[in-house]
Amino acid sequence: MDGTKAPENSETDIWSEIGTTRVPFQVYQDAKIYAQELEKIFYGVSWNYVGLECEVPNAGDFRRNFIGEREVLMIRKDDGALSVVENRCAHRGAQLCQALSGNIGNAIVCPYHQWTYTLDGELTGMPFKKGINGKGGLNPGFDMRAHGLVNLKVENLNGVVFASFDHNVSGLREYLGPDMVKYFTRIFDGRGLRVVGYERQVIDCNWKLQMENLKDPYHAGILHLFLISFGLFRLDQESKCLVDDSKGHSVLMTAKGTEEGKEDTGGVRIAAPDFALTDHDLIQPRLEFPDNVTLSIQTLFPSIIIQAQCNTLATRHVIPKGPGSHELVWTFFGFEDDDDEMKNLRLRQANLMGSAGYVTLDDAEALEFSQVGLRGSHVGDAAVLEIGGTDCESNDHLVTESLIRGFYMRYRDAMGYGKAGV
Amino acid sequence: MDQTEMSQPVTDGVILRRIERLQLNYISSIDEGPLDDWPKFFTDKCLYTVISRDNFDRGMELGAMRFESVGMLVDRATATQHAAVFAPRVIRHVLGPALVDDTGDGYRSRCNVVIYQTSPDGDTILLMAATYDDLIVEQSGVLKFKKKLVIYDTHRIPDSIVYPL
Repeated sequence: MDGTKAPENSETDIWSEIGTTRVPFQVYQDAKIYAQELEKIFYGVSWNYVGLECEVPNAGDFRRNFIGEREVLMIRKDDGALSVVENRCAHRGAQLCQALSGNIGNAIVCPYHQWTYTLDGELTGMPFKKGINGKGGLNPGFDMRAHGLVNLKVENLNGVVFASFDHNVSGLREYLGPDMVKYFTRIFDGRGLRVVGYERQVIDCNWKLQMENLKDPYHAGILHLFLISFGLFRLDQESKCLVDDSKGHSVLMTAKGTEEGKEDTGGVRIAAPDFALTDHDLIQPRLEFPDNVTLSIQTLFPSIIIQAQCNTLATRHVIPKGPGSHELVWTFFGFEDDDDEMKNLRLRQANLMGSAGYVTLDDAEALEFSQVGLRGSHVGDAAVLEIGGTDCESNDHLVTESLIRGFYMRYRDAMGYGKAGV
Repeated sequence: MDQTEMSQPVTDGVILRRIERLQLNYISSIDEGPLDDWPKFFTDKCLYTVISRDNFDRGMELGAMRFESVGMLVDRATATQHAAVFAPRVIRHVLGPALVDDTGDGYRSRCNVVIYQTSPDGDTILLMAATYDDLIVEQSGVLKFKKKLVIYDTHRIPDSIVYPL
């Protein structure tokens, strides 16, 4: 930056001196930056995951979810369409639905004063609107139409539902771009989905660290001793890391069985024990997509991850809970046409993933180590991202942090930190 | 036929004490170790699952852990000790009294359990409130779990479930 042009976000222009290869530690712990992220990213021009269409099959069915820290309800309307409204009464702000899911019939009724809304969030009435014996009641000048629930823009891509607080956001396909839509629809191919089960974790680290973890193939062949010990993942497997034009979305894929001989780790010993499984049923996957990819992880900006590890398929929704914590909600899914064998494979291989997963418990632990390690850092301290060079491009190898650098390109853009100088 | 209709409450004090002893030895293998002893409390073909009440009540079988043989339990014990990265911790189970019924296929034992976790810095948190729903059979004079369901209410898990429960 040449210093003559004031950066858009000058108050916190923490990135002016450093390029995409550095991430200032403040972005993981500063409450002001966190508040800006909620406004500019989650409540701004972005598409956010709210659930799977199959979770609300019948009219009146709802599922409660979060976009940023705001609660939303995904609702199936009488005409079969979906609506997403904020779970907050327009009267005094009370939470409308408390259950995670259920059926609310043909109207949303606030439990506090029974203000009543259509399933689209339009205010239709309240008790004692005309008062009693002509006394009291709603102010005659009150405009009912102006006091509905906050209604979000909704799109459904092959059974996966996204919503946006900002109605000016571009269409979902345009937001994702053609490459990301291609890999998204590789898994969500239009077949009916079914939920296999849920898991929820609260991990005490900033939400972006969780996103980084799924954009970091470099760690996977080092941290995850289980994968290494059983040859499920190696950094020399045939692989791809694809970044979209906006740099905020990405997909990484590997094919098990394509590695040759012993891994060349550049003279550094990966300290993984050699041991054999007693029961091999755990890792006997069945190829189910038309390629040899055995692991694919797609991350969509800002905070949803789509995982296909062997036959365990899941959306992982990253929900921020303050600068130092997030909730991770796993929705394991399969297809309506799964046979009994496939149903069993999905249940069994889920041992790899989730809150007790052979693979993912390492991640949750390492992420908390990261947040703890940041405590007490000074302004100017930053994470270093120079594995795989300095760019944010796609790769045909895994020893790279280019996807993380890409994420921060997009992030800086959304936050108004100005374009990154590399 | 519904198992509960066939079930008879167990009143034999010797059997009740043996089942209590089994449960206490079981939690000791996790709380005190060695974890290699943990799979020995199960029959060769078994079902061990740690499942949220949310999934259980929805009729979904997905568990945070789900093992169908002693071999899979041995693998979990080995991986936890040798192929996992996590901060050291101490696990502490506290069991409530058990309701024990004779189902004809074995003893069904149900009891509440709370599980605490203590960090290296000495902070103790409640990991989960849960219930055990077990099917216990006798093999060569030894009581073993043919089925152990750990159904946990706390389905917003603080960080991870590292050890079996």
